Amino acid sequence: MTDPIGTWLAALLTLAVLSFLYRDNPVFRTAESLFAGVSLGYYVGIVLDQTLRPNLIEPLATDFAKNNDLLIAGVLGALLYMRYVPRVGWVARYGLAVYVAYYIGVEFTRKIHGEVLPQMGRTIQPLDQGWSFQSVWAFLNSPGLLALMAIVGTYSVLIYFFFSREQGPVTQRVSRVGIWFLMVSFGAAFGFTVMGRVALLIGRINFLIYDWIYPTFGVVT
Amino acid sequence: MARGSPTFLDRLLHVDRRLIFLFVALSVTVPILVPLGLPVSTTAPTQAAYDYIESLRPGDYVWLSFDYGPSSAPENDPMAEGFMRHCLSKDLKVIVCALYPLGGLGLANNSMARVAAEFPNKQYGVDYINLGYKDGAEAVMRTLGANIADAFPTDVNGRNLSEFPMFGATPSKREDGMVVGHTLGIKSIKEVKVVFTAATGLIGEYWITLVNSQFGTPVIIGPTAVSAPKYYAFLSSGQLKGMLGGMKGAAEYEQLLIKNRPDLAELYGATKLFTATKGMDAQTGIHLVIILFILIGNVAFFLFRMREAKEGGR
Repeated sequence: MTDPIGTWLAALLTLAVLSFLYRDNPVFRTAESLFAGVSLGYYVGIVLDQTLRPNLIEPLATDFAKNNDLLIAGVLGALLYMRYVPRVGWVARYGLAVYVAYYIGVEFTRKIHGEVLPQMGRTIQPLDQGWSFQSVWAFLNSPGLLALMAIVGTYSVLIYFFFSREQGPVTQRVSRVGIWFLMVSFGAAFGFTVMGRVALLIGRINFLIYDWIYPTFGVVT
Repeated sequence: MARGSPTFLDRLLHVDRRLIFLFVALSVTVPILVPLGLPVSTTAPTQAAYDYIESLRPGDYVWLSFDYGPSSAPENDPMAEGFMRHCLSKDLKVIVCALYPLGGLGLANNSMARVAAEFPNKQYGVDYINLGYKDGAEAVMRTLGANIADAFPTDVNGRNLSEFPMFGATPSKREDGMVVGHTLGIKSIKEVKVVFTAATGLIGEYWITLVNSQFGTPVIIGPTAVSAPKYYAFLSSGQLKGMLGGMKGAAEYEQLLIKNRPDLAELYGATKLFTATKGMDAQTGIHLVIILFILIGNVAFFLFRMREAKEGGR
């Protein structure tokens, strides 16, 4: 069931945001501020309702004896807000220290085990795993050539980023090869980014036409 | 800088950006109003994702996570719904959840309602279920490895998971008496045959680096186009079974469904809703406009340089 008030509101706010394309104006700034405020308010509500209530408040309220260890996490979390009280602001560092240490520990395992090792293992490939000279296309798809490109690309980019040593004539040339690899990679990423942004525009225009204009004027599709 | 009245070349070099926006708007609006039906070719990551789902047996459990918000819905909605349609059409059991805080649950509810209405013979709690939203994606995934019910004790409507046949309460029987599938009830995400995450931001990465790497559950990702390049590394390393990159990936998946599954071809042919395939017409139009303006800009720039050199030589 379509909600006409919601549709009109969404359509007018969409037009308000798109009005920036003509020039900066108060209507756009109002829509922008409204969006930021509503998103933040919604997020605060979600965290209170989905994180603090079920994980801290309810367990403590229903069975304090069994869940009193949660008080430690609760107090550490509350300490973070002490930075708003200048006299005791330093206390916030205790909560922050525990949070940072915990997060580094968790992320370290995930990154090493889930990203660094598997991808490093796949990058290290033998060069004699197959070369095809039957056609240009077959040659370009040879596993050996791809492995060679991975080696050249990885090392040249690493040399480009190796700042702690002055670059000599050889490393300078290698790092220029690295720049070419980076440019190709940034180009691909930029192409995907354009495609993504355009997809969002398509979604909005589609909404304006099929959910707002057509029903408003009674156009049957 | 040109002197006197501006020439055609000067005008080309200083095109009002609002004129470009107008062309962009037209190139998007016209194909939406008059669909062109341009062909969509399939790339290897999408084909791999499709083939993997095709290889599953009826009754296998699959997991669909809505890890995106309304801001990327035009890209992610078609892929999540395409995946759900494919799975229900193959009699797979679909478990849905949402881990993205800003609107993930609303999108999951809407998509599930839409797709479930297309499969009236499928039963909630037997063939598919919606577990709702849970905050703290990383912590949720760790818990899912031990026990799904610890992370999601109830479904989205607050009913205890143990009430549903999908989680082992009774054999998976539908109302018509037919027993669907060979697996009755699951406990952990390790028993799920694949996780499909329609994702924006970091949550998609968590499914790969946490659930796939630590529990071994296969993962297919449907990222927004902006984050798709990052996931090619995970594809190359074999950590992903497949990928639907942005709206293009979603359109490719829709085309595979239309080509290979007659029931879904009929459905996609009849739908008035927005699909990625329809969106790709506008994508093509807008890309042509962008390429055209890049060419005009470059030609004008080089002509200007040539004119400057000529004038300087006099």
